[in-house]
Amino acid sequence: MTESSDEGLAIREVRLGATRAEGGTREVSYVIGGERALPFSGKRPERLLVALEICDDPRFWPPVVRDYVGDLSNDPGEWARAAERTYGADLVRLNFTSTKQRGFDAFDAIAATTEEVLAATTRPLIVEGSNEPELDSEVFRRCGEGGEGERLLLGTAEADRYRSVAAAALAYGHAVIAQSPIDVNLAKQLNILLCETGVPQDRIVIDPYTGALGYGFEYSYSVMERIRLAALAGDADLAMPMISAPTDTLSVREVREAVPADQDAMAVAWEFYTAYSAFVAGASIVCVRHPRTVERLKKALEV
Amino acid sequence: MPTATFLPDYRKVTVPEGATLLDAARAAGLSMNVVCGGQGKCGKCLVFIRDGTASFDREKYRRFFSEEEIARGACLACQATVVGDVQVEVPAGSLIQEQKILVEVPGMKEIPLSPAVRKYEVRLDPPSLEDTNPDLARLLEGIERQGGPPPNRVYAPLGVLCYLPQVLRRSGWHATATVALVPGGYRLSSVEEGNTTERLYGAAVDLGTTTIVAYIWSLTDGRTLATASNYNKQISCGEDILSRVNFSRKSGLSRLQQLATESINEALTTAADAAGIDREEIFEVMIAGNTVMTHLLLGIDPAYMIAEPYIPVVRRMLSTAAGRIGIAAHQNAGVYTFPAVSNFIGGDIIADILATGMAEREEATLMVDIGTNFEAVLGNSDWMLSCAGAAGPALEGGEVLFGMRANPGAIERVRIDPDTLAPSFSTINGVRPRGICGSGLIDLLAELFRACVIDRTGGINLEIDHPRVRKGRYHPEFVVAWEAETSIRKDLVITENDIKNLIMSKAAIHGACMTLLDAAGLAPGDISRICFSGAFGNYLNKESAVTVGLIPETPLERVENIGNGAITGANIALVNRRRRKELDELAQRITYIELNADPSFMDRYTSSCFLPHTDFTLFPHVQQMLEACRARQGVRSWQA
Amino acid sequence: MAMKALDIYKNLPKTNCKKCGYPTCLAFAMKLAVGKAEIEACPDLDPETKTLLGGVTRPPVRLVQVGAGERSVAIGEEFVLFRHEKTFYHPPGIMVQVSDAWPEDKVRSAVEVVRDTVVHRVGQDLVLTGVAVKNESNRPDRFAETVALAGGGSSLPLVLIADDPASFEAALAISGHYRPLIHAATGDNWQALAALAKRYGCPLAVRASGPAELAALAGKCADAGAPDLVLDPAPRSLRDFIAAATEIRRAAVGRTEPALGYPLYLDAGSFGEIDTALAAGILKYAGIIVTPPLSPASREAALTLRQNIYTDPQKPIQVTPGIYPINEPGPSAPVLLTVNFSLTYFTLLSYLDASRIPCYLFVADTEGLSVLTAVAGGKLTETLVADSLKKFGVVDQVDHRRLVIPGYAAPLSGKIEDATGWKVLVGPRDAADLPGYLEKEWKA
Ligand code: SF4
Ligand code: FES
Repeated sequence: MTESSDEGLAIREVRLGATRAEGGTREVSYVIGGERALPFSGKRPERLLVALEICDDPRFWPPVVRDYVGDLSNDPGEWARAAERTYGADLVRLNFTSTKQRGFDAFDAIAATTEEVLAATTRPLIVEGSNEPELDSEVFRRCGEGGEGERLLLGTAEADRYRSVAAAALAYGHAVIAQSPIDVNLAKQLNILLCETGVPQDRIVIDPYTGALGYGFEYSYSVMERIRLAALAGDADLAMPMISAPTDTLSVREVREAVPADQDAMAVAWEFYTAYSAFVAGASIVCVRHPRTVERLKKALEV
Repeated sequence: MPTATFLPDYRKVTVPEGATLLDAARAAGLSMNVVCGGQGKCGKCLVFIRDGTASFDREKYRRFFSEEEIARGACLACQATVVGDVQVEVPAGSLIQEQKILVEVPGMKEIPLSPAVRKYEVRLDPPSLEDTNPDLARLLEGIERQGGPPPNRVYAPLGVLCYLPQVLRRSGWHATATVALVPGGYRLSSVEEGNTTERLYGAAVDLGTTTIVAYIWSLTDGRTLATASNYNKQISCGEDILSRVNFSRKSGLSRLQQLATESINEALTTAADAAGIDREEIFEVMIAGNTVMTHLLLGIDPAYMIAEPYIPVVRRMLSTAAGRIGIAAHQNAGVYTFPAVSNFIGGDIIADILATGMAEREEATLMVDIGTNFEAVLGNSDWMLSCAGAAGPALEGGEVLFGMRANPGAIERVRIDPDTLAPSFSTINGVRPRGICGSGLIDLLAELFRACVIDRTGGINLEIDHPRVRKGRYHPEFVVAWEAETSIRKDLVITENDIKNLIMSKAAIHGACMTLLDAAGLAPGDISRICFSGAFGNYLNKESAVTVGLIPETPLERVENIGNGAITGANIALVNRRRRKELDELAQRITYIELNADPSFMDRYTSSCFLPHTDFTLFPHVQQMLEACRARQGVRSWQA
Repeated sequence: MAMKALDIYKNLPKTNCKKCGYPTCLAFAMKLAVGKAEIEACPDLDPETKTLLGGVTRPPVRLVQVGAGERSVAIGEEFVLFRHEKTFYHPPGIMVQVSDAWPEDKVRSAVEVVRDTVVHRVGQDLVLTGVAVKNESNRPDRFAETVALAGGGSSLPLVLIADDPASFEAALAISGHYRPLIHAATGDNWQALAALAKRYGCPLAVRASGPAELAALAGKCADAGAPDLVLDPAPRSLRDFIAAATEIRRAAVGRTEPALGYPLYLDAGSFGEIDTALAAGILKYAGIIVTPPLSPASREAALTLRQNIYTDPQKPIQVTPGIYPINEPGPSAPVLLTVNFSLTYFTLLSYLDASRIPCYLFVADTEGLSVLTAVAGGKLTETLVADSLKKFGVVDQVDHRRLVIPGYAAPLSGKIEDATGWKVLVGPRDAADLPGYLEKEWKA
């Protein structure tokens, strides 16, 4: 048996964000990881974070969230501020959805938006850069530059496109999200590749890819459990904290087709069940999009 | 009808319009290299149109040709059709050439001679009015007196009875009877005049998908008299098993059966001639072939084996008389085919097992037979597990740009200087290289890995500033030999795509080995021997095989090449009837694991799709070696 | 501890007689080792060997049935701590709690919701399991009446929650034949309740805090003739529940404490966070979850989570291969190749549905593998694509010959073109980007 109820080997600690003392401008920095037991069963409570996702181009965002946040969706800075102050998120994940549009070349805006969101927030920031392999190196460079010194969590590295993110993270001192398609071996392979590129192990956060509840979530759940078990059993290449972003959740039929009066409730329930289960499976950070889910999750972690 | 002329030896045939150049070449008696069975997928049937025209979609198959080849009128013979008179040049590389075929017989010394067929010299009292015993009874009693089986257990075929009276009388009642042990009793195979006991021969045959190997034995003193090998003529109906079965479904089984017997007969004839014996004196033939080959040889329909639920008609050992299926031996000679475990683990594998001796040992042996398909068997005298799968054609040179079979001109050994990246290689027959065969590819993979040219997924690091490392037309590539060194007038390269195909192939094999080990609850260290059987394994560099993670890491001295296990096994079963008798029981106790139904196989496969493996702890020595290599050449480290 | 296949094999007759239905003794041993065969299937074992092997191959968590008839629920009979090790077999019963202090109507409507709610998902009908009746009135007769109102156990399985043996007596007089779960035997009342459970042949929940205490109490109840037990670890917090449940399941499957080899009970209403508790119970080993009435959103999400977690990971829900029209496509609509891995299919489907772009989803049979693994494992090949195009009659449905393939299948593009003669367009790797891609790239 690989698992044990006793204290296992530790998950590596990853520091996110940098305070002034640490060379950045954040009011707080977070350390995630460090667990030595299965989720919710160790002696020490886990360091769990709830991130609210925002984006720079709401055309590529779920309508139910757009409707809920209204004008905020056109102003990443304000949206980020509200995420922290109004909705109570531990941190913000900024998605550059603008890079999805064809012929994207507004690279200057990438750096500017990164800086704007950093200025609007006081906590560490996750930045999801390029959506398009051809844009990778430029986009990641701009995000990296824009957040220099702030120890961003920069996404996303994948097995066949990891060099640009890794380079940006190394050059500007950020941590990296390593995403692999729901497979413990592929997750491990990507971590090895990143390490062999020079990314230190304590700057990698694993994203095993999270399918939506009812749409394959069980695969993600089990892969997260397996990653955590392998780490506790001493596999250093998997002993990184995990981030879970069930990004497809708000596009599922149940949410889209809910009667209008129930739509927010359904969106929140769907995100909540997925995200909370991800915590139980071992995620350190979960990312959600509906502001009300944030509050629900924060409460859930208290019981 | 138009005429097609094939250069360089100007063979002419007339063929109907619309026939492919491949059909025409076959009609002209040329054996083309049809790796994909003529589907336009392998590009190995390259020919040049010298004069006249043929209809061919050059754009569609462009990726198979260099600019220069296009300029010379390159075509795929299997995809080009005759529209009028045409003159075609067939480059040597597109013809099947003499391949290295294994003929050694390692480990045969310990097998005692105890054949299932014997000759008895009898001197009989002529019959009289007082002694009216019929001829047959008289003969059988004589046989029994010589230590032969009791008369009531011997079956005498009608054919023998028809000539028996003449033989006995002409010889003055001094004759030699050949009696074979057959399932359920004995058979009187022949009666000859006088004493011919010295002349009792048997043949062992490896009926491979590609090649046939035959051994002729003297069954009176256990000497090998001669060996021969040749191609399986069924190749003209498709390269691999699947295409053969498809051919039999379309064009009938009888053609394939005929080609199988012809191929065997050719080998038997060559060997018999070399041994200076008459084929009629071969009284027993032991044939090891995979399940489909065995079915085809016996004229049994293999169609139900290639689709779910993959059912063979028969698994157990079969015997028939040579005359029944047209084998060139004595017509009453017993022809035996090895039993199978499943349609994937056939008689050839049972023969492999016999050759390794693993079924007699207490320690566990892992046996791997690699071709386009691979089979793996793990076990000992008490239990045995097996599995099979597709390794993909990469290890036999398919789906690799410059991959080829182990023919002359194939690079079979490679070393790369980690500092200069200069390769040094040797080719089969020492001629200029024109491609790379399986063992060369595995070497190359290991060397590129050691030299840090590729990362652990097989990706070529284009940041390396070296003329051999470059961005090719479609994929990054590494130049193994410059144009001037080759015989093909182009740079011989290995592409990243080739490398990934190779990694998938090796991962399938390693994943299968691990599945067997896990099913048995053993670790790689518990295996006392790893045996490679088959041509591929025989030339494989063991160290490279471990470095790339083709097989579990074990001390190299535990890795053995047993050569052509199928023929060795057939030899053993021919000369020793006890071993032969155990075969059915052996096949019965082998447990077959269906990899596709084993959900953890995919997991093991994915973790093996990495060099040497995702879990380095399974390859401690490779890890050490690699770290040493990387330290030595920090310059090209991954932080570059 | 579970035995390895070879260790089991050593104890078998090794005759390969096939009477067990497997081709060899070793094949049978391999099935036994993973709990997929019954030791009884081999007729040639002596009783000691049977006991020896039975002891290590029998389910480590007891199967307990609550309720009778069609909607009864079987829980337990689990083998593993993590679903990827094999699978979870018996989804927890979700029991909606009503109180005997409530007005009749309120009880009735809560019961109706349980009875009538059906969520249809991927070929399965998901339902709430049953009703838990709580004795808050402190009156045995009232309790019995409410139990009757909840159907008395004849239609929906029941949990009876009370302290006082007299209340149970009254309720069981009505529902005792229908195997309600009695909750809960404690250090104080266990003798009386175990006797009742024995008399009616009902399952019994035992409640004590801490695995050691639970084991002791369970042992006593089992000895007293109540073998069908459910363990309530009386958690103080959800965190506490998860830790205790994990410890208990680990002891059970590790066979270190047989007295903990029973399904678990969770009262989801006791922490003020119903959804959280439901999710935690579903994920972490609860066999019976009692919950206050749920909102439609919570209900659907919880039932879906339960379905997901109790899907056999080795037999994932596969989509039937074929050609699926989406948004009423015409003959010029794009044809999108994908695989029959349910996750891929559904994700794609939801984005395409939402986009309102008419198209055909062309699902090839990769035996439930995702695009990436199917390409790697050689399950998605040009031959498969060509054969499936033919088999599904795709040519007859569209007037063009252009095929959009998933981004991860890009390495196959040339081969697919060759094998099918169709023009291949390589689509995005991310389903979310597909609608955008189609809008731009697809010109009919
Ligand atoms: S029934 Fe028993 S003896 Fe026969 S094969 Fe099965 S396990 Fe072996
Ligand atoms: S391409 Fe012609 S035989 Fe393969």
